[in-house]
Amino acid sequence: MTLKTLGAKEAPFEFRGKTGEWFGIWITNILLTIVTLGIYSAWAKVRTKKYFYQNTYVADRNFDYHATGMQILIGRLIFVAGVVVYSLLAAIPIVNLVLIIGLLAVLPILLVRSIRFNAVMSSWSNIRFGFDGTAGKAFLVFFLYPFLTAFTLYLAIPFADRARRRFVTNNHRLGKSAFAFDSGIGPFYLALGAAIAWVLVISVIFFAILGSTMTALMVNPYILEDDPLAATTLLVGFYAYIFVAFMPAGIVYQSFIRNTLFNNSSLDGKHKFHSDVQPLTLVWIAISNVVVVVFTLGLMLPWAHIRISRYNAAHTRLIPGGSLDEFVGEMEAQSGALGDAYTDIEAVDIGLPI
Amino acid sequence: MPASFGHTNAVIKGRAFPPLQSRFVQAKLRVDAETAKLVDEAGAVLTSCPRVDVIIEQRIGRAPRRVTLPDGTLFESEDHDEIEDVFGVTAGSFIHRMERLHPRMIGFVVVAVFSVWMIWRYGLDIMAGVALALTPPQVIDAVDAGTLQTVDLIFAEPTASTSSEQKAAQAIFETLLATLDPDVRADHDFNLEFRAMPGMGPNALALPGGTVIMTDELMRLFPSPDVQAGVLAHEIGHVVEQHGMRQLYRSIGIAVFVALLAGDTVPIVEEMLLEGNVLLSLSFSRKAENEADSFGVELAAQAGYDPAGLIPFFEWIEHEIGDTASSWLSTHPSSTERMQRLEELITSQ
Repeated sequence: MTLKTLGAKEAPFEFRGKTGEWFGIWITNILLTIVTLGIYSAWAKVRTKKYFYQNTYVADRNFDYHATGMQILIGRLIFVAGVVVYSLLAAIPIVNLVLIIGLLAVLPILLVRSIRFNAVMSSWSNIRFGFDGTAGKAFLVFFLYPFLTAFTLYLAIPFADRARRRFVTNNHRLGKSAFAFDSGIGPFYLALGAAIAWVLVISVIFFAILGSTMTALMVNPYILEDDPLAATTLLVGFYAYIFVAFMPAGIVYQSFIRNTLFNNSSLDGKHKFHSDVQPLTLVWIAISNVVVVVFTLGLMLPWAHIRISRYNAAHTRLIPGGSLDEFVGEMEAQSGALGDAYTDIEAVDIGLPI
Repeated sequence: MPASFGHTNAVIKGRAFPPLQSRFVQAKLRVDAETAKLVDEAGAVLTSCPRVDVIIEQRIGRAPRRVTLPDGTLFESEDHDEIEDVFGVTAGSFIHRMERLHPRMIGFVVVAVFSVWMIWRYGLDIMAGVALALTPPQVIDAVDAGTLQTVDLIFAEPTASTSSEQKAAQAIFETLLATLDPDVRADHDFNLEFRAMPGMGPNALALPGGTVIMTDELMRLFPSPDVQAGVLAHEIGHVVEQHGMRQLYRSIGIAVFVALLAGDTVPIVEEMLLEGNVLLSLSFSRKAENEADSFGVELAAQAGYDPAGLIPFFEWIEHEIGDTASSWLSTHPSSTERMQRLEELITSQ
């Protein structure tokens, strides 16, 4: 029996998906979702995840996703019913207050179960991931700490974010091998600073272009009536400002955090990771994706998906600290997740960081 | 070669992962009529089982096909044709064939784009109508009570109007209600409330259950029964046509629709979809205003008021607020447009 072993040489992440192939799967997903009045969307999600996971390789071994369409469907039905009931009840102020308090108690439990479901349903090289975080700790890092940063004029946001990343990463496992993440606070402030800098630079540029119209408006608001062109320019300009200033700022922040996260994480105490995505390149990819997708009525969306996945994979590496053949999976992982099907909440879907 | 179940003595090349282990060996799956045997390169048997117990997972694109044996061993193979040859057209093969690039994809695209447009344009309204029919009246009454509390909390103050002003308005309101079809009237819990709303001007608003709120300024600036009847009849129109709940259900439907179809979008696109939808939905809001205008003119005229009485009201708005052109960014049609429609409606009466 010849074992395939890999030395301690760097193993790049590799994405092998192809635009044409993914387009066929994607359009079939949409078509069948419409024809089945939304029911197929659960199976569509599974095929989507499987496509991207199975085409992502590290050291010639790929990821996989194991949830079934039925599990996702049940989770979604419960989720949709919950949203409808909540939206109706939330229209009543006093009930609304009770709902918010109830939600604060239930959300951390759902959140933890959701992360665990996603972890257990994902695998790499035949080993399932796992997640051991508790609801109590989730309440602290997802709700209490962010809330408390208000008392520091939000200056402590990076600390809250780091606590959240620690919680999520340090509670993840690959089989029996634990992930670990820790980092100084510097990179988190750097990420926030970079995002704020982006907003400021874009604001200055927009003011330089639209400033004269805005000043004229402040002097005499009635020009809007006489000059519909100015009104339209101003409104379109305002929307463009929101899209170009704030959304890319989020991308800038996420890119910095992604690099920090990978570069300071380890698996089993010996395998390390490396990420060097460029914030400005990712902003360019995101903005050009939007333009192309909008002008093709969404038909180039599969191309945009593949483009991002390829870029991210190309800028991510595993630095093995030993053999990758020695990971061992856990037996209970196979059965433990079935009961957690209902926790597939779209909004808090935290999958693999790639 | 046609795929047929029971094809014997095939060999599929791939690699095998022992249960719960990350290591793998190059291996072959030897299948005969009865059994499936996994052998390594040296020919040693790793595991074997009856061929019917082999689980073949779905095929997705060119990614390796995953084959699971009963003891938990995972066998991965890119020998797609051979697998289908041996095990026949198995689970997922049909979907995979559908997904392959083929000229029929053009048909898929046309059907998908057309369907999305149809759902947005008509489907959501139908779904909102169904949801509305299923909503218990108690829920709508509760929405009214709750919204009124919120209005009081956020921007309304107790009314400063005199009791004679209130009595006059109440009388108009009741005359209008008496003109309504009794069945329609019984479906709603009509109720007139008076509030001072600084900054809202002469205005009135309708809540889904039938509560209509009138501002002090409306009564003070427009004591004419014809104006008040026109405004109140318009608000009653919103209640009868159930515009409020329809909008609520429509927005819930859109959120679900976007999540289902475009759940996994790229950054920014999902925000744009929802934001763009807000702009597009304003056309539905303007349509609702026009419907309420038509309903209001008819109801006021039937109740014996002069629908033309609303014209000075719109002239006042046009003069004070100065909206001369409605655009795709407005929630309401412009006063000028509404006046024109009003005149047309009156002449067609």
